[in-house]
Amino acid sequence: MQTHRIVYSLAISASLVLAACANATSAPPTQAPATAVVAAPTSAPTAAPAAAGLLDDIQKRGYMLISNDPNYAPQSVLKKDGKRIAGSKCPADAFTTGEMEGFDVDVAAAVSKAIGVEPCFVTPDWSVITAGNWGGKWDISIGSMTITTERQKALNFTTAYYYTPAQIAVTKDSGFTQISDLAGKPVCVGKATTYEDWLTGKLGIPASNIKAQPPANVTEVALDTDQLCAQSIQAGRKDFQAYLTSVTVVDQNIKAGLPVIKLGAPVYVENLAIAVDKAHKLDSTTLVAKLSDAITAMHGDGTLTKLSMTWFGADLTQAP
Amino acid sequence: MANPAMRLNAPTGKSQAELIYEQFQRSQRQFTLGVAASWGVLLVLLVLVFSGLHLTIGPFTITTIHLDLQFIRDWTPFISQGIWQTIGISLLSILFATLLALLAALGRLSRFPPIYAASTFYISLIRGTPLFLQILFFFLALPQLGIDLPGLWAGVLALSLNYGAYMSEIFRAGILSVSKGQRESAIALGMNYRQMMQRIILPQALRFAIPPTGNEFIAMLKDSALVSVTGFVHEITWRAQKAGQPNFRNLEALIVAAVFYWVLTLIFSAFQGRLENLMARGDR
Repeated sequence: MQTHRIVYSLAISASLVLAACANATSAPPTQAPATAVVAAPTSAPTAAPAAAGLLDDIQKRGYMLISNDPNYAPQSVLKKDGKRIAGSKCPADAFTTGEMEGFDVDVAAAVSKAIGVEPCFVTPDWSVITAGNWGGKWDISIGSMTITTERQKALNFTTAYYYTPAQIAVTKDSGFTQISDLAGKPVCVGKATTYEDWLTGKLGIPASNIKAQPPANVTEVALDTDQLCAQSIQAGRKDFQAYLTSVTVVDQNIKAGLPVIKLGAPVYVENLAIAVDKAHKLDSTTLVAKLSDAITAMHGDGTLTKLSMTWFGADLTQAP
Repeated sequence: MANPAMRLNAPTGKSQAELIYEQFQRSQRQFTLGVAASWGVLLVLLVLVFSGLHLTIGPFTITTIHLDLQFIRDWTPFISQGIWQTIGISLLSILFATLLALLAALGRLSRFPPIYAASTFYISLIRGTPLFLQILFFFLALPQLGIDLPGLWAGVLALSLNYGAYMSEIFRAGILSVSKGQRESAIALGMNYRQMMQRIILPQALRFAIPPTGNEFIAMLKDSALVSVTGFVHEITWRAQKAGQPNFRNLEALIVAAVFYWVLTLIFSAFQGRLENLMARGDR
């Protein structure tokens, strides 16, 4: 009897917890339309379209959460002796500009300045970023993301802030001299990248940007990041002798002393832009427009060209 | 005439028993010394494998792994900043896991079908799916339910649920190890279930359950590395990857991380050893 009483009380408390959770989860969706309905009639003529969007939310809290994968020099890396900026508004598990550096980081700082907020960086896995449905965990992605038709289903893009050619690199001793030599051979790419899409013939970018078709019957080796492709070669692994990535990464690899060379001309040119989650519960139209304006202004006044020269040693900001 | 053994030992003036005990102590010391020396040799060999030296011994050339020591010097402080995150996640998770394990163990011993079923269902579901998937699930799926856990708490939740399921077996075994007579005596004294558990069964059961919990904690220190997949928890493994990948020094960075994990494990193993002695005190 005593046992049962405790057991029942446990069961009841468990169901109460469950019920509380259920209430908590159903609260936001039911509440949102309710406030909208209330707001509309009271201030109908003026405030209808300006209903608290993502931009307002960001400006109200004073910082913007920017996702970025710090695996790529010179786009974005963590500083080895980075220090959190004193008095930063960023959440504790986000990085400040004091802890990261690179082209993307500088662009992020510049656009944040344009909308008057502090940039904060969060660093989820790349495939988590490109998949969309961020659940409001961060506001935008500034991580050299290519605009593709596939990604446009889940994400909204701003104007491109720079353009990078995609380049195949092969090991020096591979003997490959042209792209067709790779027919039937394994080629390494990063998981969920446009490089993977090009290899498998699924790349959805403007036709004028594509310069070459993938070699016949090529085998795809997809690793977690592009950098792991180069590192496998550096480590002496022989699973593949070719990989496809951005020309900036290949240049960086060659500079780091890897035994690789570029194979032929770039196979396509990517338009890289800032992305915003379509599924975000707040409206992001004004944010995307504002960010696009900022990018256009930075193209115009030479800010982007200057940053590109600093980080890449070349101007990659001119449309192909 | 005294017996021959006594006469033989006469010059030292020690009894046979003392001599046997001294002999035992000597061999014990020799064993400890031998183990320490062998550990030293193995450690030197391990370091040698990563020394980058090319050794030529007669006809054989041994190639060892070359490491960029400058990189290790530069980035070790950066990676070491993840130590507290690793320890913090593990401590929080083991705490919640212990509570869950206790509840699940009591549930499994219950004779009330829904409670028994809930407990076994939880244990079966969690033990039947990979920890990696559980972490991703709590990070990615819960926001759709409106529960937006920060990366750290998604990781702690997944680790707690996972270890709770495994550790429930430890607690169940602990509770079952308390003899039936204890339970019967408690009932005979008129205690109710709660009093019996609190005053008689659990204190004795925990003595058996706590040392293996320390062992689980040591395992969890390493499993906490999986939480790095969310990217919001900058623990040792995450930092090692972000230091290694952009600089093409993955191996070096991962070795630094491995050393940190090993040292942490050594420290907590020592703690666990003392805990075990403490808990076993009543039996000696």
